[in-house]
Amino acid sequence: MKTAERLLGWIDARFPLTTVWREHLSEYYAPKNFNFWYYFGSLAMLVLVIQIVTGIFLTMNYKPDARFAFASVEYIMRDVDYGWLIRYMHSTGASMFFVVVYLHMMRGLLYGSYQKPRELIWILGMAIYLCLMAEAFFGYLLPWGQMSYWGAQVIVSLIDAISPPVALWVRGDYVIADATLNRFFAFHVIALPLVLALLVFLHIVALHQVGSNNPDGIEIKEKKDPQTGIPLDGIPFHPYYTVKDIMGVVGFLIVYFGIIFFSPEMGGYFLEENNFIPADPLKTPPHIAPVWYFTPFYAILRAIPQKQVGVIAMGVAVVIFFLLPWLDRGIVKSIRYRGTLYKTALGLFVAAFLVLGYMGTQDPNLWYVNPISRVCAVVYFGFFILMPLYSRLDKTKPVPERVTG
Amino acid sequence: MLKTVYWISTLCLTLFAGTAHASADLPSIQRGAHIVAEVCNGCHSLKYIKYKDLLSIGLTKDEVNALRGENGLGDSLKAQMPPDAALAMFNVVPPDLSLMAEAREGGPHYIVELLTGFAPGADGQTTNRVFPGIKMPDIFGIAQADPAARKEIEQKAKDVAAFLEWAADPQAEARKQMGMGVLIYVAILTILFYLLKKKIWRRLKKLER
Repeated sequence: MKTAERLLGWIDARFPLTTVWREHLSEYYAPKNFNFWYYFGSLAMLVLVIQIVTGIFLTMNYKPDARFAFASVEYIMRDVDYGWLIRYMHSTGASMFFVVVYLHMMRGLLYGSYQKPRELIWILGMAIYLCLMAEAFFGYLLPWGQMSYWGAQVIVSLIDAISPPVALWVRGDYVIADATLNRFFAFHVIALPLVLALLVFLHIVALHQVGSNNPDGIEIKEKKDPQTGIPLDGIPFHPYYTVKDIMGVVGFLIVYFGIIFFSPEMGGYFLEENNFIPADPLKTPPHIAPVWYFTPFYAILRAIPQKQVGVIAMGVAVVIFFLLPWLDRGIVKSIRYRGTLYKTALGLFVAAFLVLGYMGTQDPNLWYVNPISRVCAVVYFGFFILMPLYSRLDKTKPVPERVTG
Repeated sequence: MLKTVYWISTLCLTLFAGTAHASADLPSIQRGAHIVAEVCNGCHSLKYIKYKDLLSIGLTKDEVNALRGENGLGDSLKAQMPPDAALAMFNVVPPDLSLMAEAREGGPHYIVELLTGFAPGADGQTTNRVFPGIKMPDIFGIAQADPAARKEIEQKAKDVAAFLEWAADPQAEARKQMGMGVLIYVAILTILFYLLKKKIWRRLKKLER
C-alpha cells in the first residue's frame, strides 16, 4: 500500500493523474436524473473503440488493391481464424455507430442540449457526425463490391455536378479505380480516425467545462450546497454513472451480438446483396442506393429534379444542424416544458426523417417515392427554417426549481 | 416507456436468435454438393470453395476424390469449361457461384425459384419467369418434365440452394453456435451488473439532500 501511494505521488508530481481522476470522474458532478437517452454518448465511444480495434485486425489481412480487395475480404471471411467475427463486428459496428449517434442527436433535440451554454459541444458533435459520414463513405468502398463501387461512383458524381476538377482530384482517375481505392483506404484507416479521436476528445472537454444537460433542462450548477459547493442535484460520475453506463453497454452488446451472430446482413440493410458481387465498372446495378444511414439525405437529393440544386439541398440538410443553437428561440430547454407547437414540429420532423430514410432505399421509379420524398423534404427544412418563429410563439410550461425524478 | 420497448425488443431478438439456430439440413447440403460439383461446376466456378472444404460438410474422402478428379484437394472448384469457351458459347462468362446465395435478394429461395422457373414459352423456346433472357439452359429439364419428374427436380433445386447457402457462408453454423454462448454470457453479465448498479445507487438514498 505504501509503495502504491509513493508511486502515485511520484506520478502526480509529474502528471496530473489524481487531479484528472477527480475533475473528470470521482468529483465530476452529473445530474442525477439521466434517463435512457443518456446512454448513447458513452455507447458511441464504445463503438468507436470497437471499430478501431477490429479495423486494426482487418487491416492485417485486407489488400487495398483493386485486383485483390474483394478476394482478400473473402479470405478474411473464410480462412483467417475468427476473421468472420472481426469482419462482422466491423460491418455491424458501422451501422450501430449511426444508430447510437442518431439516438444521441435525438436526445439533444428532445432536451435542448444544444442551447446556451452548450453550443460548442453541439458544433463539435456535428463535426464528429460529418467526419463519421466521411469515414463510413470511404470505408464502404474498401470491400470493392458492386455497391461499394457504384455507390462511390454516384457520390463522387455529385461532386462532379458542382466542380469536375474537384471530383477528378478526389478520384485520382476519370472513374473510380485502383487509385481511388488506395486513397480512400488511407483516409479510412488513418486520416479520419485521427480527426475523429481528436474531435471526440474536444467534445468531452467542452462537455466537462459546462457539465451535462438533463431531461429537465435545468442547470444543476445554479443550486449548490452552500457548504461544499457541490450541485444539489449532482452526483459523482464515478461510481454512479460508470456503473449505470455499463448497464447501457451490456444492453447494447445483446443487440450488437444478436445481429453479428444471427443476422449479420440484417436483411440486406447492413450488408447489401449487391456487395457480394465483385466491382464491375462495365455493369451498372439496376438500383443503386446507399447504406440505410445515408438514405434520408439521398432521398432529398433525388426528390429535387435539378441535380445541382439537389446536391446543394442535400448538403444544406446536413449542415443546417449546426445552426440549431441559434434557430431555437425557446425559453425552455426540455421537451417536458415545451408547448404543443414545438412538440408537433419535432414529431413531424422525426416522422419526415424516417420516411425519407425509407424512401431513399426504394426504387425512384415507383410512383409514390418522389412525391412523398418532396413533401417530407419540405417538412424537414420547415422544421429548421420556421424554428425561430414557432419556438418563440410556443406556450411553454413553468420549469421546476430542482430536477424531477 | 422507451426502456420497456428496448428490453421487450431485446427479449424478442434473443428468442428470434434461438429459433434462427435451427441447424442446417446436412443431407440436403451433401446432395447439393454432388449436383453442384457434377453439373453446375461444368460451366460455373466456385473460386472461394476448395475441394477439401467439402470434407467439412460430411462428404467422405472417397467422395471428394471422385469429385475432384485430377484436381488437388487444396484446389478451388474451377469451371470445367474454360472462360473463353464459355464466352464464345454463351456470350457471357457464367458467374461464379461461391457467393450466389448472398448476392441475390431472397438468397437460397431465389436460387430455387430460378432453377425451377423454366417453362415453355409461346414461341417454343424455353423461358425463365424469374430471369427472362437468361443464357443458362434448363439444365434439369423442368420445362418438359411430367409431375413426378418435376417433384424430383424441385428437390434437386432445393439441394443446390442449400449447398450454395453453405458455400456463401461456410462459418454460419459455427457462428450461430458461438452466438448462443455469447448471448448467454452477456445475459448473465447483465444480471450481475444490474445488481452492482442497484447496490451502488442505494448509497444515494443516504446522500439525499
